[in-house]
Amino acid sequence: MSIYNFKKVQVVPTATDFVDITLSKIQRKTPTVIHAHYQITRIRQFYMRKVKFAQDCFDERLNQILTDFPKLDEIHPFYSDLMNVLYDRDHYKLALGQINTARNLIDNVAKDYARLLKFGDSLFRCKQLKKAALGRMATIMKRQKDSLAYLEQVRQHLARLPSIDPNTRTLLVCGYPNVGKSSFMNKLTRAEVEVQPYAFTTKSLFVGHMDYKYLRWQVIDTPGILDHPLEQRNTIEMQSITALAHLRACILFFIDLSEQCGYSIADQVKLYHSIKPLFANKPLMLVVNKIDVMKPEDLGPNEKKLVDEIIGKDGVEMAQLSCYTEEGVMNVRNQACDKLLASRVENKMKGSKVNDVLNKLHLSQPQARDDKDRPAFVPAGADHRVKYDVNDPNRPKLERDLEAEGGGAGVFNVDLKKRYELGNPEWKYDTIPEIMDGKNVADFIDPEIEAKLEALEKEEERLIAEGFYEEDDDLMDEDDEIIAQEAQKLKQKTLLIRQAHQQQKGKNRPVIPQNRKPARKVQDLATKMETMGVDSSAVLERASRKRARSETRGESIVRDASMGVVGEHEAKRKRSQSAARDRSVAGLGSEKAKEVADKIRNRNQVQSNLFAKRGESDRHIQTKMPKHLFAGKRKAGKTDRR
Amino acid sequence: MAVRAQFENSNDIGVFAMLTNSYCLVAIGGSENFYSVFESELADVIPVIHTSIGGTRIIGRLCVGNRHGLLLPSSTTDQELQHLRNSLPESVAIQRVEERLSALGNVIACNDYVALVHPDVDKETEEIIADVLKVEVFRQTIAGNVLVGSYCQLSNQGGIVHPKTSVEDQDELSSLLQIPLVAGTVNRGSDLIGAGLVVNDWSAFAGLDTTSTELSVIESIFKLQDAQPTAIVNQMRDSLIDSMA
Repeated sequence: MSIYNFKKVQVVPTATDFVDITLSKIQRKTPTVIHAHYQITRIRQFYMRKVKFAQDCFDERLNQILTDFPKLDEIHPFYSDLMNVLYDRDHYKLALGQINTARNLIDNVAKDYARLLKFGDSLFRCKQLKKAALGRMATIMKRQKDSLAYLEQVRQHLARLPSIDPNTRTLLVCGYPNVGKSSFMNKLTRAEVEVQPYAFTTKSLFVGHMDYKYLRWQVIDTPGILDHPLEQRNTIEMQSITALAHLRACILFFIDLSEQCGYSIADQVKLYHSIKPLFANKPLMLVVNKIDVMKPEDLGPNEKKLVDEIIGKDGVEMAQLSCYTEEGVMNVRNQACDKLLASRVENKMKGSKVNDVLNKLHLSQPQARDDKDRPAFVPAGADHRVKYDVNDPNRPKLERDLEAEGGGAGVFNVDLKKRYELGNPEWKYDTIPEIMDGKNVADFIDPEIEAKLEALEKEEERLIAEGFYEEDDDLMDEDDEIIAQEAQKLKQKTLLIRQAHQQQKGKNRPVIPQNRKPARKVQDLATKMETMGVDSSAVLERASRKRARSETRGESIVRDASMGVVGEHEAKRKRSQSAARDRSVAGLGSEKAKEVADKIRNRNQVQSNLFAKRGESDRHIQTKMPKHLFAGKRKAGKTDRR
Repeated sequence: MAVRAQFENSNDIGVFAMLTNSYCLVAIGGSENFYSVFESELADVIPVIHTSIGGTRIIGRLCVGNRHGLLLPSSTTDQELQHLRNSLPESVAIQRVEERLSALGNVIACNDYVALVHPDVDKETEEIIADVLKVEVFRQTIAGNVLVGSYCQLSNQGGIVHPKTSVEDQDELSSLLQIPLVAGTVNRGSDLIGAGLVVNDWSAFAGLDTTSTELSVIESIFKLQDAQPTAIVNQMRDSLIDSMA
């Protein structure tokens, strides 16, 4: 709700924790293994990274602190002054300033040592440099011990400050100690401020909220103030003074005429006059408390004079109440709220923002445009209907109750037909088909459907009676018949063509090539020619003639030789019998070539034959246990693969 | 009596419910909580009916109606039509409208006597509105918005219009409608009045986010619980200025 939320400031660790956190973070987040034999550049980089990382860690945390804590110059003057009172502005600023300096120092240390590390010539030197860098950073942090401890205290206190919105509608209760400020606060709000019969029970500001006139109001209870000069006021009083000075609130100055608080009326009036400058330009009310004990009317003339000095000047009103009997409490509240609201509205009306909302404050009343009366329509039962009450045992059962009984949401199925208003309650759950005989039933729902059907049927009967549907059956004449026959023929023929085409088309089987097909016979040709009406005799005659050619072919030498039998008389037999061929001559063009090949073969075999040497074709048993596979140390999987 | 309600975590209850002086339509939701809010206020006085329109739950934006009748968009199924006919009293005429601007609740705002409609609504639809709802029909815009149904809420006693409606426009609309009007918001500053609020002559339902100032304006302008519209400019003026400006 309010923009001032100091609860989100992060915890400020103590100086030693700070160092521990950072060092362990370095250990966790940077590499830790390094060896002397690594390249020197790598060693330098390793340590440089550590130093830089340390700097980043410190920087991040210190920055967090600097941004989290509110800056006194940027927050509302009320909070700025309150913090001044509570934590001392100088101290606060100094602490934050020191944190800022520490951050800069650490940055400088890191920069210096990163530079020095560039000249580190061994692992040892680099390590010493890193150690020195981290040591110096830790020392700088440790020097901030006090600032950090102070800031942590401030943080804890800040988080517990009441979240007061300085700009909203506020009632500010102030006065001497023990005059009943906190009691009044407890009557108005549910803040439950501690009330005790001794002075300074309330030691800080308390805030409570209440509703009035559709708005949310903030009530602030302040510690009691004594009448002495500003310089002598203690922290507790100064909080009240700060609130009085900076909040644009309606101020309720409480006075105890009974003097039960232990301060005389004269003292209280004196206090009023001494802090009067703080009330300038604010709605102010003088509230007389404890009227159950002492009423203003019963005052002696001297006291009355003192009180009257206040009333009437600068529009100060007096109000009376008793927190004990609760007399006048609400009255005072309403008066104060109205007063504040009026002054706030007056201020806002001066601004420009109000122009945007003026149309929302305008009530348009209609101008009569005719004499027609347009009354509201409120059914009879609506006026004096018994209001539904959840706690009434006889309350009507709602769907929600039925749902709970029926298994809860997701299980319960609401009965949509329960409240149907039909002619007969028994009809409620009748099932009506949506589709019947392929027709949408809803299309046929019509109050006058019976009458319409009857009318249609009558018309149908009339048409039948008039012979509208009777067919006139006159015969076809000659021409028509011929045309019909022709058409029939054509139809038949196209059908055949189509069938033939479809048989040819899209056959899913292998096609036999023409040259593989069984030989066509001359007779086929003849019949085909006959059907076409062409004379086929010439063709047949030509086909039956013998082909002129020689009776025997020329024989090859090789073949004759291989068969061994060569003779004129065997010529006919040779034709019909096939004989096995001599493969030794296969691939050789002629008898001569064969002789040459044989000669080369024999010459090549001379050597081996001469010494009866082992040849390719000899049977050979290889070594059964080759040494290289079985000798030496063996490891897995080496036996048969080497 | 103005009541705050929420439909399945949505504050736009005017989308999921429709309220007139003679019946109330409520969308079929995951639970009966929303329905029961209406039931507890209205049961035994007027029928509170579960329904969907065209299978959707956004019934408040799709249909429009008053004491005399109910207009439904062309997307309404035959079964939904039958269900509504069975549930509503005989005196309420139901009509399905073939209108291109099918979200009738967005393009038409009406009470029992006058209706404001989107300037582009069909001539035939305009006639149907006049016949079925028995109202005078005016083509109007509200603060430059053509969706008159979304940006205002009317009863026979008063009406709320879009918060940016100028004073002159308010006066003109007020004279057309013959009811007092005020510019206002619902649901903590939402200008979609029709979506955040449903009213009739004796009750009002607003989204759960509606602030107490908004609710008090609603109660005053619709004369609920004997409140008077003049309270807005008299008693409530200061509160309104302080909370809005």
